[in-house]
Amino acid sequence: MDKRSYKYIGRNVTRFDAVDKVRGRFPYLADEPFPNALFGAVLFSPHANAVVKKIDVSEASRIEGVEILTYLDAPNARYNGSEWFPGQDDYPDETVLTGHARHVGDRIALVMADTEEKARKARDLVRVEYEILPAVTLPETAADMAGMLHEDGVKSFDGSICYGDLEKAFSSAAYIESDTVTTPKIHHAAMETHSVLAIPRGDVLEVRTPCQITFGVQYSIAQVLDMPLSKIRVIKANMGGTFGGKQEVVFEVLCAWAANRLKRPVFINTTREETILSTRTRAAVKGKVETALDADGTILGRSFELIVDAGAYLTGTKKVMMAMGKKASRLYRIPALSYKGSVVRTSTTPAGACRGYGSPQIHTITEIHTDLMCRRLGFDPVQFRLKNLLGEFEEDPSGGANIGKARVIECLSRGAAAFGWEENKAPKVSGGRFFTATGFACCTHGNGYYKTKYHDFSNMSLRLLEDGSAILRASIHELGSGATTALAQIVGEVTGIDVSKITVTEADTQFTSYDSGCQASRVIYVCGECARLVSEAAVKMLTQEASKLLDRPVRFYEGGLVCEGKKLDLGAAVREIMEKRRVSIEVNFEHRPESNPASFGVHFAEVTVDKLTGLVKVNRYLAIHDIGQAINESFVRGQIYGGIQMGIGMALSEELPFDSMGIPRVRNFDKYHLVNAPDMPDPEIILIEDNEPGGPFGAKSIGEISTVPVSAAIVNAVNRALGSSLTDLPLTPAKVVEAARNMGE
Amino acid sequence: MHIRLAMIVGVMFLKIELKINGKFRTAEVSASERLIDVLRQKFGLVSVKEGCGAGECGACTVIMDGEAVCSCVVPAFQADGHDILTVEGLEENGELDVIQQSFIDCDAVQCGFCTPGMIMSAKALLMKNPCPSREEIRTALAGNICRCTGYVQIIDAVETTAARIGVCRR
Repeated sequence: MDKRSYKYIGRNVTRFDAVDKVRGRFPYLADEPFPNALFGAVLFSPHANAVVKKIDVSEASRIEGVEILTYLDAPNARYNGSEWFPGQDDYPDETVLTGHARHVGDRIALVMADTEEKARKARDLVRVEYEILPAVTLPETAADMAGMLHEDGVKSFDGSICYGDLEKAFSSAAYIESDTVTTPKIHHAAMETHSVLAIPRGDVLEVRTPCQITFGVQYSIAQVLDMPLSKIRVIKANMGGTFGGKQEVVFEVLCAWAANRLKRPVFINTTREETILSTRTRAAVKGKVETALDADGTILGRSFELIVDAGAYLTGTKKVMMAMGKKASRLYRIPALSYKGSVVRTSTTPAGACRGYGSPQIHTITEIHTDLMCRRLGFDPVQFRLKNLLGEFEEDPSGGANIGKARVIECLSRGAAAFGWEENKAPKVSGGRFFTATGFACCTHGNGYYKTKYHDFSNMSLRLLEDGSAILRASIHELGSGATTALAQIVGEVTGIDVSKITVTEADTQFTSYDSGCQASRVIYVCGECARLVSEAAVKMLTQEASKLLDRPVRFYEGGLVCEGKKLDLGAAVREIMEKRRVSIEVNFEHRPESNPASFGVHFAEVTVDKLTGLVKVNRYLAIHDIGQAINESFVRGQIYGGIQMGIGMALSEELPFDSMGIPRVRNFDKYHLVNAPDMPDPEIILIEDNEPGGPFGAKSIGEISTVPVSAAIVNAVNRALGSSLTDLPLTPAKVVEAARNMGE
Repeated sequence: MHIRLAMIVGVMFLKIELKINGKFRTAEVSASERLIDVLRQKFGLVSVKEGCGAGECGACTVIMDGEAVCSCVVPAFQADGHDILTVEGLEENGELDVIQQSFIDCDAVQCGFCTPGMIMSAKALLMKNPCPSREEIRTALAGNICRCTGYVQIIDAVETTAARIGVCRR
């Protein structure tokens, strides 16, 4: 089909919730107090590693109407909040409440009252005596101290990926180059803090949560409450941002357990400090990468050794670590590879899913290394990459899915031309202290779970209504990216129904069918394709039923029903079929993808480094992405701009440091420096739309990949500006000043 | 100076009178209550979001006597006698303000949590400077954090609003 004839695909349809959002009438959980609900204030540990010796709730419980549940009341069942399906084999080390606090912000008790003020006041009256144990703050020594933090004594959670003859690659190499890069622990900083509401209703426990995987929330609750999945109803609530921070289960199990126990609705809401200290973070990584090259700069082999900081509980960090390894063979042609990762637990805020699921970390490590290696060996960094990047439909030697219609070479060559790489690659100095230079980085990310250890499918139904409108019943979790509107565009394109007459549901485990969740960059590629296929099935059913009704062949042509050259009204056809044939037009479809191609992107940044203050200003920026096809171009741009904002923060200013006692140095945005409007460049965006097979109208993912190459592009630009080899992120002013001082030495 | 004495009710509460979205309102507030609490809990103006409680993120921005302020760091009693405008007060006769429409048209909204505060900061800028440069818009929005959009489409929306108001000659 000619792209220009699309009615909705690639068009900037206004998102369905935009009007409510600009009116301030789009209710998040905290905006709609539930009748008779208790407000739950969690009592968090102020210590990094401490055992509760005594807990005294007497004073707090004297306040009328206060309900208190402590770790002594809580079930011992251990779970891992990153699991979203039974049998995923993620080590369970978390409980709803604990008498052994393993990080500042660990959950000791839940204090509930009819108002937030009362609950918080009572919470502050609970007296806890702790025996303070040594904090485990350094990933390097965490394995040896494991028994101090967890009674299970498990030192680390290791994993590896290997293929090819690495020994031969390294022994025959002309060059062997190595770098070690560290990436920081990062706060997701969704503007809405974490909240959850649980409502007991007869034998069903209802949980409303702004989450990414309702079926995963249901499963976590079932493990602790010992209830059938069918009796736990999880409803996706309006979401004020997540970026992976609300992907894993955090307060849902605690809230569900408390509500079930008290037989009263319980609402837990958190402050920014509580969300920063007690939810999830991007895992900090220290990675050593070593590359073997032949004399021409062709990669012969690469080895990795990574240490990944899970924080106080394992959470999904082993999954993240393995996902990092899985990305290592999907950008460059690497004939032999060894990837060894070790996940350790420290007495700091737990890590977990975060936009890119390890991809930003692994590509930051390899892309900074690639630039430094090229500089040391005298290779041009663009030519080096062009020589080694994967071409279309190459296989992933690690056993992952075929790479698909890769357009990363086009991204790099077109980007280099558009950004004026050749003209701008030499650093410029002005005023003796301002150093301007350009950097770039390449990256890849996935499109779902096909050919990984996890299953991936989506099940939706589409009903065409008697007035010609449509409802797509789908387990979508709108995270703010516009996914529900994009799916409606797909349905509208196939059925010809005006997009304003299409409703797309969000997940409700009681009424919508199974879906693997809004994670893994699978929503457009997998759920979007499911929406396309269910629409085609509905159209097919409609034409068959209409043909039977009229006893003449009815076809679907150019977005409408046609019978012997005459156009039929879709709503009238549905009505007559229902009335006369006693059949409703509703189909159910399950899509199980058999491909999981790579998305690609290359970002270019021009920065000016102030040698005196150490401040880095991003002047110009270009993001070029291989996305197959934009469903809604404006949404795609929005994802890319936001991804750049996050990546600049990871490169320059965002980190969650802890002192040697495990006390966090950051508790709010006063010391957590997010990129704000004055520091954000106006990026140029180029989309390469070359139709990826297996995606709806050729579309593939953008939300996660858009943040993946940013940090490396920025760091590479700073390193070119200063001639430095900075590899310890973020590049705070102190580190930059220090590097500038060493210039020319 | 336009400060009226607050009447003390008992020991704990102060009675304040203020104008909210064009209407005179009264409330009894405790000394520790913040303007955001009064707006959300007493008047149901839940467009005012709490993102940090420390005046750092701007999600709770309202316009107070023409200036954008973080309502989470304004003690409620200090709002006594003042004029407060929230997003709920922007619509006239059910019609969106031009700035709201521009946010929609420029796709300046994603998760929407920062949106009301962002709109109020931008509105305060445009009330004082109807023809801001892109840099002036950036500066005016410096105290409003958005994690979704990278600000680009938000700045576009403010520029579009200025163009639609039509005072500017560009």
